[in-house]
Order: sequence, then C-alpha cells, then structure tokens
Amino acid sequence: MHKFLAIALFFLSASVFADDPVGRVKTVTGEAFVTTTGKKAKAEVGSPVYQGSLIETGKNSSLGITFKDETMVSFGANTVFTVSDYVYSPADGKLKFGSKLAKGSLNYVSGAIGKLKPEAVTVGTPSGTIGVRGTQFLVTVAE
Amino acid sequence: MNNALPTLKGMPAGLFRGAFVVAASLVLAGCAPKYYVDRVGCPAPCAPDSYVVLIPSPDGSVGKVVVTGDKGEQALGKAGQAATTGGQAFQVDEKRIKDDFGAAMAALPRVPVRHVLYFSDGVKLDPASDAEISRIVAEARDRPAVDVTIIGHTDTLQSLEFNDRLGLKRANRVAELLRERGLKADSITVESRGKRNPAIPTQDNKFEPKNRRVEISVR
Repeated sequence: MHKFLAIALFFLSASVFADDPVGRVKTVTGEAFVTTTGKKAKAEVGSPVYQGSLIETGKNSSLGITFKDETMVSFGANTVFTVSDYVYSPADGKLKFGSKLAKGSLNYVSGAIGKLKPEAVTVGTPSGTIGVRGTQFLVTVAE
Repeated sequence: MNNALPTLKGMPAGLFRGAFVVAASLVLAGCAPKYYVDRVGCPAPCAPDSYVVLIPSPDGSVGKVVVTGDKGEQALGKAGQAATTGGQAFQVDEKRIKDDFGAAMAALPRVPVRHVLYFSDGVKLDPASDAEISRIVAEARDRPAVDVTIIGHTDTLQSLEFNDRLGLKRANRVAELLRERGLKADSITVESRGKRNPAIPTQDNKFEPKNRRVEISVR
C-alpha cells in the first residue's frame, strides 16, 4: 500500500511540474499567438505560458506576460520570443530565466529571479546574448 | 539619472524597475549588417536595427546588463545607455526609443503587488493583517487574469517538519479567507517555507513575531 502511494505521489508531482504554467498573458492587442508543444493558440488575456512556449505577435499587435517570480516581459509588433528555460524554485536555489528574441521588440522588467540570481537571466538574440549583472541591480528590483 | 532622457521620467513609474528594452530585427531597412556595424551611431536610416537600452528604475537607480555578441561586449549601467545586440556601443535618442519600444512599453502588465500578513499564534491572524485581506481582494478585482501565490513562514521555534506544516496551514488559512471574501483568480498557489526563509534571521528555537508571516504575491 505504501509503495503504491509513493509511486502515485511521484507521478502526481511530476505531472504537476510539467503542466504548471510559468506565466500568464496579461495584456494583448491585435493578433498574437502562444505555441506550446507544437500547439498554436490565439493569445488571450489569461492564456498560460509554459517553459518552451513560443510567443508571436503580428502586425500592429502587442502582448505582455507576468511570470511566477514577477518578471514581466512585453512585446511590440512582429515579435518572435521563446521562453527557453524557466525555473523558479527559490526554496532550493534553482533559478533560471533563459529566453530568445528572434525578432521584434521586448521590454524586460526583472522579478525575483533577477534579484536573487541576476546571472541566471539571459535574453539571446540572433547576434548575441544579453545578461543581467551586478549588485546594483539587486537593489533596483526590490519590491 | 541620465539627462539625455528627460521625458522618460514622466512616464508611468511601473515601467521602470530594473528594466531594459531590446529591439532585435532580422529585417534591416536598407542597411546590410556589415554596413551598420562599420558605422555605429550613424544617423537613420543606417542605424542598426538591433539594440538594447537600459531603462531607469522608479527611484532613479539603474541596474546593469552585459551585452555579449559577435562584435564584442558592452556593459550598460546608466539609464539611456545602449549597445547593439552584437555587443558594440550605440547611441540612441529618446524619440527613437519611443518609436521602437512604445508599443512594447504600453503592453507591459501591471506591476505585481506583494503583501505580508502576520500571525500572533498558530493560524490566528493579527487584526491589522485581517483587515488587509479585504484590501487584497479589492485590489485583485481590477487586475486581468489574476495569479496569486501564498507562501507561509514561521519563526524557528520547533522542528523543520513542524514548521513546514505550520507554514502550510497559515498559507491555506489565508487562501481560505481570500476566497471567503470573494477573491477571483485564475490561479491560487499555496506553499510553505516553514522556518527556512526567515524575514529576520535568528538562532534556532527563537520566538520572533516578524517571522510568523504569510507572503502574498498578486500578479
């Protein structure tokens, strides 16, 4: 019985992890899409965003997301952005915000990940990488 | 503060908290990449289309970002300071920032709010914190697609296990009160850190009212 319970709990926690949204769409104008594990859906206020989600905005469109750790990102028109790596587990110090901006415009506002572990935040672009550094930043983002 | 960007100060404070903006475009209007890289800072239309700008925080302090690319590395530490995404120094004026980032800035979600509620004993809320519950519910009402995280904490009296459970009880109690008073949210997440993340670090087995708390993030 105990063995059975342990296995059941393991699967439960594993599935909760995989299916847990890491952020949510809070603002949308025009046409925008969120693609997760190959499924493309029109973005609406309330659309969940997962690790690995691809965000796209069309012409004259925009979209804003707030993540679990209070990081905010927002995009102008014609943007392609990927949430490549998102881990927010402050209890055991596992923190990561890895993203890619293939094209378009991005406004990034740091949350707890940028405050606790600035070097864990990266935005990749076709020609380089933007990284967050320095203790000044820790002060800046304090809520 | 950077005097080159006077009107940015007049924009809503919520836009600026350790923030930066990036424009990355693969479509370069009439400028081949090599051309603009050789002429950094040249006037439009030959200015690069891909750059990063650091934006000031509401209190005037500014964070720091490092841009590392195929052309070098730039550390940005001043408001209004910019670099190409390839890692070269770059100048950008306020008008161009508005043209390139106005839409992204306008799409920024509302800044999340945090609350800390205190417990006198067990799962009994302090009266002042009890009153705050209603304010949190009212505030959440104006937000789109609300996410709430509730994290329970304890002081260091008793064992780790005891406090993990007590922290969870406190967080669940707050979730229950928020729901009773009409909180509508897309998600409510309840967690406990027990005595692992004290607000005031103390020795073990120490009574500390400021550590008997629940932190609430409303996003």
